[in-house]
Amino acid sequence: MASTTVEPRRPEPGPARRRGFVGWFDPRGRRLGGYAFILNRLSGIGLVVYLYMHLVILSLLVQGPGAWDAFVEIALSPPVLVFDVVLLAGMLFHGLNGIRVGLVGMGLVVSRQRALFIAAFVVAGLVTLVGALRIFGGEG
Amino acid sequence: MTETAAELRTTRFVVSRRKEGDDPGELRYDTFDVAVGPRSTILDSLVSIRRELDPTLTFRHSCFHASCGTCGMRVNGREGLACVTPVPEGGEVMVEPLGNIPVVTDLVVDMDAFYDEFDEAGRPLVRVSEMIPGAEMAEGIDELERYEDCIECGICLSACPVAGSDPRYVGPAALAAAWRLVDEPRGRDPGPVLRLMDDEQAAWRCHLAWECTEACPSGVDPAAAIMRLRRAATAARARRLFSFGGTR
Amino acid sequence: MTTDQPALERPAAGSRGIPAFVVQVVTGVALLVLLALHMVAQHFIVPTGLRFYDDVIAWLGNPVVVAVEVAFLGTVTYHALLGVRAILFDFGFSERTERRITNVLVVVGIVTVVYGVALLAAIINAAS
Repeated sequence: MASTTVEPRRPEPGPARRRGFVGWFDPRGRRLGGYAFILNRLSGIGLVVYLYMHLVILSLLVQGPGAWDAFVEIALSPPVLVFDVVLLAGMLFHGLNGIRVGLVGMGLVVSRQRALFIAAFVVAGLVTLVGALRIFGGEG
Repeated sequence: MTETAAELRTTRFVVSRRKEGDDPGELRYDTFDVAVGPRSTILDSLVSIRRELDPTLTFRHSCFHASCGTCGMRVNGREGLACVTPVPEGGEVMVEPLGNIPVVTDLVVDMDAFYDEFDEAGRPLVRVSEMIPGAEMAEGIDELERYEDCIECGICLSACPVAGSDPRYVGPAALAAAWRLVDEPRGRDPGPVLRLMDDEQAAWRCHLAWECTEACPSGVDPAAAIMRLRRAATAARARRLFSFGGTR
Repeated sequence: MTTDQPALERPAAGSRGIPAFVVQVVTGVALLVLLALHMVAQHFIVPTGLRFYDDVIAWLGNPVVVAVEVAFLGTVTYHALLGVRAILFDFGFSERTERRITNVLVVVGIVTVVYGVALLAAIINAAS
């Protein structure tokens, strides 16, 4: 009697399910560290864009007082002041969370990483608030 | 004392499906309405579906108590072991396979590639136990030992946002295993493993999202392990830098 | 959906330079100082906050200020573009593409700093 042997066969695996680069910014299912990652990446990108904007705007200084002071008029208008506050928040968060990334990322104070994130977030928020008051108070 | 069966509620499960021959880009989901009790787990419900609704639903499981690491999957987008994940209340429940690992079928992923990285990283399985400092040792036993926490479930790799966009990243599990060896060599030379992981695609790739540690069902803390690996790698480089005539 | 590669591949052997992460930490620390210096002038030294043309020109007449600004520009450009590189490298492009990206970013960085220094010189020149 012929015996039938069935060779176990594994199906060819299909592609892995990846969240992709869109998934970097997806906060669903994430916790504090994940939010830090998202905010750091967003603020970093924002700051790079701002850097080049700033460098281009500064070229107005070559055109003399007329051009520059005209720009400053626009710079003191409310929409731009709001932008300044957002910029301040981004700089503060990126710098303070950056301290966390720098320290923890080199293997120092690893057990404090969560506390460092909360501290960075809170301090960034408070200083932004103070900054916003100064900016809209006319002293900025 | 007699107990009556607990109140059951009907929950809609949306389960990811994949069979051989499906288009690589295709995402298929099947919907199942399942009777669920107050202590039902996702695994209970999957077994229910397979037994009563669709015998072709394929998934892995073994111990039913979070100790073997076989049933890792994503429930409503969050990684976990199905055997101890309660069925979420209110609304549909989406069940998907782990991310960032090739899908073989339905909720089963190809763990070979995942395990292969462990061999290179070193596969320390037993460590000196730190749990009972003041324990009295029986005669002839010098120290207490225990198994490492890592159950090689793949959940950490699934949770990692870097692995989510780049398949070359070695991943938190292999790095944590490498760290365990560096931290407690147990008779092996940790040098080559440390050098292997001192790499842009390995220990230096992490962006500190810490999602691996948050998702780990076993307390491994791979994120901390990666940072400690970095520190050890930096120290090793400094030593090499300042040892004239020494070899790598 | 992009074509998939095996879930895990061996890390590229021999990437032995200083890890980019470490460079980011070093430039980041430098920026904590330099950025603070850059911002300090606006709020604590010049009374009207460097708003008007004449204030800016007077400010740039100080060689220490110019030195700090150039250092700041160089450091922030390095950190910014290395950061862009880190983000781009998370896409999982091929090694060849990655080398090209690095080269392009190096050129962008050099152009940025040269532009900045030239701009500083032009501003100071135009004012005198």
